[in-house]
Amino acid sequence: MVLEGLRATLLIAIFGLLIGLIIGSLLAVFKLLPSRKLFPRILNGFANVYVTLFRGTPMVVQLLIVHFVLFPLIGINIPAEVEGTIAFGLNSGAYICEIMRGGILSVDKGQMEAGRAVGLSYGQTMLRIVIPQAIKNVIPTLGNELIVLIKETSVIGFIAVTDLTRAFQTMASNSYQYIISYLVLAVVYLVLVLIATVIIRFIERRLRAGDRR
Amino acid sequence: MIDVKNLYKNFGKVKVLKAVSTQIEKGEKVVIVGPSGSGKSTLLRCMNLLEEPTYGEVWVDGKLITPPDPYLHPDIIVKSKTFNKLKKLRESAGTYLEGEKLVQAIIKEIKDGDLLGKFEGREYKNALKDVYRTYGVPVDRVRARMGMVFQHFNLFNNKNVLQNLIMAPVLLHLQTKEEAEDNAMRLLKRIGLQDKAYVYPSTLSGGQKQRIAIVRALAMNPDYMLFDEPTSALDPEMVGEVLELMKELADDGMTMVIVTHEMGFAREVATRVMFMDDGRITEEGPPEKIFGAPENPRLKEFLSKVL
Repeated sequence: MVLEGLRATLLIAIFGLLIGLIIGSLLAVFKLLPSRKLFPRILNGFANVYVTLFRGTPMVVQLLIVHFVLFPLIGINIPAEVEGTIAFGLNSGAYICEIMRGGILSVDKGQMEAGRAVGLSYGQTMLRIVIPQAIKNVIPTLGNELIVLIKETSVIGFIAVTDLTRAFQTMASNSYQYIISYLVLAVVYLVLVLIATVIIRFIERRLRAGDRR
Repeated sequence: MIDVKNLYKNFGKVKVLKAVSTQIEKGEKVVIVGPSGSGKSTLLRCMNLLEEPTYGEVWVDGKLITPPDPYLHPDIIVKSKTFNKLKKLRESAGTYLEGEKLVQAIIKEIKDGDLLGKFEGREYKNALKDVYRTYGVPVDRVRARMGMVFQHFNLFNNKNVLQNLIMAPVLLHLQTKEEAEDNAMRLLKRIGLQDKAYVYPSTLSGGQKQRIAIVRALAMNPDYMLFDEPTSALDPEMVGEVLELMKELADDGMTMVIVTHEMGFAREVATRVMFMDDGRITEEGPPEKIFGAPENPRLKEFLSKVL
C-alpha cells in the first residue's frame, strides 16, 4: 500500500508539473503577446483571469471542484488519480505562468528579432528559440515548483486517492501506531524532496554544459 | 526593389524618422552613415518591419509589407468622414476654391494636420482593405528573402552552428533537411569554419559569430541583405574578417543596405552613400561625391569628426 501511495504521489506530482509547464508556458506567451489587436487582448485577459482564479482559491477547493463539479458536469468518467493530476496541473499552471513570463523576459530580445528576421513566425520563434532558453533560465525555480507539488499532493486524499499520506493514515489507524507512522511519513517526504533536489541540480548542470561563457 | 515611401517613426514623443523616402534597386550597395541617434538603424529595421513605421509604406518587389497608409492615397482620403465633414463645412462657409481645387486643398489640410481618426466610415475602411488585398503580402514571406545581420550577432544560443543555419530553410519548407545541410556545410566551408558546425555559439569568437550570422542569412538564398552595424560590437582585430566577407558578397552582386561607421569600407564598396541626420536623409550620392565634395554642413562636420 505504501509503494502504491508512493507511486501515486510521484506520478501526480510529475505529470501535474508537465501539464502545468504546458499551460504555464501558453499563458505566459498570452500575457506577452503584443496587444494591439483584439485577439491577443482576449488571450491576455484570459490569462489574467486564469491566474487570478487559480491563485486566489485554495488547492483543496480546486481539487474538490474538479472532482465533484467539473468532471460530473462534462460527464466524463476517469479515474480520480487522473482528475487529481489535472487539478494539480491547472493549479501549478497559474504559478508557472509567472515563472515562465520572467524566464521569457530574461531571454535576450535579439533572439526573437533574429528568428523573425529569417522569416519564422512569432509562434515558431517562441516555441523553438525563446521558450527553450527561458526554461533553462527558470530550471531552479521550476524545481522549486516540483518540490511544492510533491508535498502539495498530500491533499489528494480528499478525493479518495491513495497517495503516500493516505496510505500512512490508513496504516496508522489500522495499527494504532500514530507516532511512528506520521514520523516515518515525514521522513519519506523529506527523502523524496532531497532526491528531487539532486535530480534538479543534475539537470541544471547538464543544461548549463552547453553554454560556458 | 525596396521602396520606402514617406516613412515616419515615433517612439513615444521622440520623432526618429521624418518623411524618409528612398528606393533601393537590385544590385545596389547602399551604405547609410550618420551621427548616432540620426535614425539610420531605425530606417534599416523598418525595411523588414522589425520596427513598425508610424506612417508611411514599405514596398518590396511591388508588394506592400506595411499596412496601407491612407495619407499616401488621396483617393482613400476622399472617402473618409473627416473629408466629407470638412468639405461640407467649407462649402457652407463659402470658399473661392471650386471642384478639384477644393478637394486638393482639403486633402492637404488633412495630411498636414494628421486629421484622420480611427473611425472614418465603412467605405474608407474597405478602400484601405482593398489596397492591402491587392498589394499586401505577409511580412514573414518577405523577410525570408531579406537577410538581416545584427550588431550583436543574435545567433540562436540553444542551437549549434549547423542548426542555426538550417533551421529557417527547413522550417519554412524552402529546402529539405539534406539540401539545407549540404548548403550549410558549403557556406561554412566558404568562410573556413566547417570544423565549427557542431559547436554552440557561446564558444565562438565575435568575428566567427558574425560571419556565421552572415551565412545564416545567406542560407536562405536572400535577394537582399540588411546589415545593422555589423562590426560595431567586434574587437578591432576581428573587424577585418567580417568586412572581407561582406566585400565578397558585394562582389557577387548581392543587393546590400549597410548601416556602418566603417568609412573606408563605405568608400570602397558602396554604390551610394546616404547621410542621415535628425531623422532625415540630408544628402546622398556616390561615395566619391559624399566623401570628396560634401555639400551639407552637417555632413561636413560629421566627416571631419570620423575621417
